Amino acid sequence: MRGKEIQTKDKHIQNLAKIVGGVQSILYKKEDLLAYDCDGFTIHRHLPKAVVFPKNTQEVAEVVKYCNENNLPFLARGAGTGLSGGAIPLNGEVIISLVRMKRLLSVDLENRRAVVEPGFVNLKLTQSISDKGYYYAPDPSSQYCCTIGGNVAENAGGAHCLKYGVTTNHILGLEVVLPNGEIIEIGKNGIPDQPGYDLLGLLTGSEGTLGIVTKITVRILKNPEAKQTVLAYFDKVSDASQAVSDIISEGIVPAALEMMDKTAIEAVEAAAFPVGHPRDIEALLLIEVDGISAGIDEQIHQILRVCKNRNVREVKVAQDEKERERWWANRKTGFGAMGAISPDYLVQDGVIPRSKLPEVLERIKKISEKYGLRIANIFHAGDGNLHPLVLFDAKKPGETEKALAAGSECLKVCADVGGSITGEHGVGIEKREEMRFIFNDEEIMAQTNIRDVFNPKNLLNAGKLFPTPGRCVEVKKERKEVITS
Amino acid sequence: MVATELLTELKSILPETQMEAGESEGHPLGNGGRLIVYPKSEEEIVNILKYANQSGKKISVIGGGTKRGFGGLTESADLLLSLANYKGIVEHTVGDMTITVKPGTPFQELQAYLAEHHQKISLDPAWPEYATIGGVIAANDSGPKRFGYGSARDIVIGMRVVYPNGTVIRTGGKVVKNVAGYDMNKLFIGSMGTLGVISEVSMKLRPLPKYESLILVSFEEGNLEEEIRSFVVRILDSMLEPTSLELLSPSLSERLTGQKRYTLAISFEDVESSVHYQEDFVKRIQPSKTKMTILQQKEAQSFWNQFYKIGPNGLQHTENKETQAALKIGVINLDVLKVIKESQLIQDSNNLLIEAHGGLGHGLCQVYLKGASEDILSAIQDLRDFVTQLGGYLVVKHLPLALRQKVDVWGEKPSYFFLLEGIKSRIDPNRILNHKRFVGGI
Ligand SMILES: Cc1cc2nc3c(=O)[nH]c(=O)nc-3n(C[C@H](O)[C@H](O)[C@H](O)COP(=O)(O)OP(=O)(O)OC[C@H]3O[C@@H](n4cnc5c(N)ncnc54)[C@H](O)[C@@H]3O)c2cc1C
Repeated sequence: MRGKEIQTKDKHIQNLAKIVGGVQSILYKKEDLLAYDCDGFTIHRHLPKAVVFPKNTQEVAEVVKYCNENNLPFLARGAGTGLSGGAIPLNGEVIISLVRMKRLLSVDLENRRAVVEPGFVNLKLTQSISDKGYYYAPDPSSQYCCTIGGNVAENAGGAHCLKYGVTTNHILGLEVVLPNGEIIEIGKNGIPDQPGYDLLGLLTGSEGTLGIVTKITVRILKNPEAKQTVLAYFDKVSDASQAVSDIISEGIVPAALEMMDKTAIEAVEAAAFPVGHPRDIEALLLIEVDGISAGIDEQIHQILRVCKNRNVREVKVAQDEKERERWWANRKTGFGAMGAISPDYLVQDGVIPRSKLPEVLERIKKISEKYGLRIANIFHAGDGNLHPLVLFDAKKPGETEKALAAGSECLKVCADVGGSITGEHGVGIEKREEMRFIFNDEEIMAQTNIRDVFNPKNLLNAGKLFPTPGRCVEVKKERKEVITS
Repeated sequence: MVATELLTELKSILPETQMEAGESEGHPLGNGGRLIVYPKSEEEIVNILKYANQSGKKISVIGGGTKRGFGGLTESADLLLSLANYKGIVEHTVGDMTITVKPGTPFQELQAYLAEHHQKISLDPAWPEYATIGGVIAANDSGPKRFGYGSARDIVIGMRVVYPNGTVIRTGGKVVKNVAGYDMNKLFIGSMGTLGVISEVSMKLRPLPKYESLILVSFEEGNLEEEIRSFVVRILDSMLEPTSLELLSPSLSERLTGQKRYTLAISFEDVESSVHYQEDFVKRIQPSKTKMTILQQKEAQSFWNQFYKIGPNGLQHTENKETQAALKIGVINLDVLKVIKESQLIQDSNNLLIEAHGGLGHGLCQVYLKGASEDILSAIQDLRDFVTQLGGYLVVKHLPLALRQKVDVWGEKPSYFFLLEGIKSRIDPNRILNHKRFVGGI
């Protein structure tokens, strides 16, 4: 049991405790802080100075103001499921946890919007409005526990983002506490195109480095009238990849178009939600179309035809909602399922032009062979968002480093074919240096310039997202030397 | 500095054939330049910007010129940088459904090209024949089908932008999903050319719909607001997936359909069976005392083609006794009803022609006014007051320069103006680009 009083002489902790209403809203002892030394990216760890649990915007603003005035580094944290290390307190930050700000503030079905606090869990929103026939579209696989505040910060995606777009396409308004403690409202009343630069778009996906989101107005959608889900098994990865392209070329916009390779299938079948996929296939596609019932059958027929033309071994349509849900549970728990076949795994998140799928999967296979580590692929094939999962054993000396290097090399491949190093998990700590695969110094500086407008002292979530400035400067120096010498 | 001097100075960076003197009389819409320059490459844009930035010159940027009456307080900058000759498709990867284009490409040209591949850019801006893709994005123009497909911020995946100091920045990328770094694309969409010159745009595409139709439902007199509202709510709460749910004011409806009635334009785009199925549903819930017309395929398309030409076009501005204005109003979705009704009331009580439409699924209205200048100014003020009470905003999208100097085009500065100002001064510290064309004199 925690004591009723703050048992430390640290003045800052005492003052912060006062702001958030006492000892029950702050953690500061080492044993309590250990749970906050990393997020879903577990390779880096650092202890925070304290964790505070504000109950409302005012308290967040006061904590921020206090930190700002006293030059204490700080950062926001939602559920801590981020996969790139965005919530890791690299500099011994004061962590501002938003989990107690978890109310659904209002729902306006007629105007298709809802207002939530940042700690509100993604899936709960859909659950709260599904009886009326509505839902919130962005569906990260972690949606049963991640927060909408964290989704905004990471611009989270999900399986159904192919048709409906990622978080940024569903955010109408934000209340934000700026790094100096000032509270602003952008996207006032959730009305689009407010005069001025699109700060809403800029803040979404800024990985908690521009401000702390304390209230969110999101767009909600009406459930589609009908939905059909197809599962297709292929003997060759190239056939599955071709089928993906063909489906899109038919002019179909599937709600979701997911792929898993052999290693991934081995894992999901060994984990909690097996479906009974054959173990000897090379790839499977999980395809969903939704919309007006009268148009769905036609699309399903087209999809079945495409799969057959691409030598599908077996293809089936879910017979009922139960079967559909089983297929999705199997897919959505895919990352965790790696635990069933490997002690540790590292998730990567590259994006490629869809047409490069066969080539890139081949190159990832080579990387796997080079490092002697298995790499499973579970991914959003429809939008080219790959998730190579590098399997390793952290207890074996040197293997963590090898896994990191293999992951980085996968991203290099994505960048080389004209893609990106992250589609939904963010840069965080993990991919800071990989930013150089796609941006040059000037482009990175253009971004840090924007950060400096919002976060001039860089106290909020410093050290994330961008390559270390030291190197930036060094690179410049080198260049200058080359030019002058 | 006069045009000839500028020309002499610029000769070293741009062939003389790509320069001409600006309008000697000035242009009633302003936003001109003493010397007009027509770069044909990104490098030329870079050189022009570098020159201006180093020598303290101001630049106006223009694409097709359809939005020349949108913002801006100066008649003539030093240079008018026209992107009209910097056009064409850089890369179209059919299978990936992405396209990269140069900014001066007229919107319609792009759509016509894409249609050959059964694809499209899912935007429906005004004056597609003249508006360039760069201008559409810089001004963030959208049309009724935004309800179904979103706006520029939902489809732009990457850009190349020339900064005022000549640095070229790439934002985003060429893939449809990307969260690497800040989403810098957003900064330039709707920035009215005040931050940089967009020299390339990459967008994600959609398949052309296999079939489309448009239902026009016109309402007779009666308690319109309630009747339209409950019908619209019924549609929104159904399984229907309209791509537009646009309410037209009686005056606009008269011009487009011959019926002087509040008219709802509901469009469906999908496979044919789905489109007809949805039409049948609408027929079943058709309110009494309404008239319904259904336009199929080509008929629907030609209605929309006509629709995209209803507002004033800055390119075709002629001096006229009658002043023209266009407003963009944003409110919470269903408040569009109130705005359209209010516009009609203001028309009836003033000696003005006011045509208005607004999307009940996204909350944006366009209002076009014609009449005497003073009446227009007072109508703008009345509407702005009305909209502000609803928690919305009003932006003046088209107005002659002389009147823009009398009315605040963008409305009051937001409380976070210092952030906008901060962004501007980081990127364009010498304020060379589209000086004072944006919110709060940015
Ligand atoms: C099993 C698993 C599956 C996943 N699947 C997906 C997926 O399909 N798609 C996907 O996109 N992601 C996925 N993720 C990643 C992760 O769930 C998302 O990034 C999610 O958005 C993070 O939310 P969170 O509440 O856990 O945020 P946290 O991890 O707590 O924080 C993430 C970042 O956001 C910042 N932040 C948090 N709250 C705020 C706030 N209120 N204001 C400002 N900044 C804030 C933090 O500082 C940090 O930088 C998955 C993760 C796991 C573990």
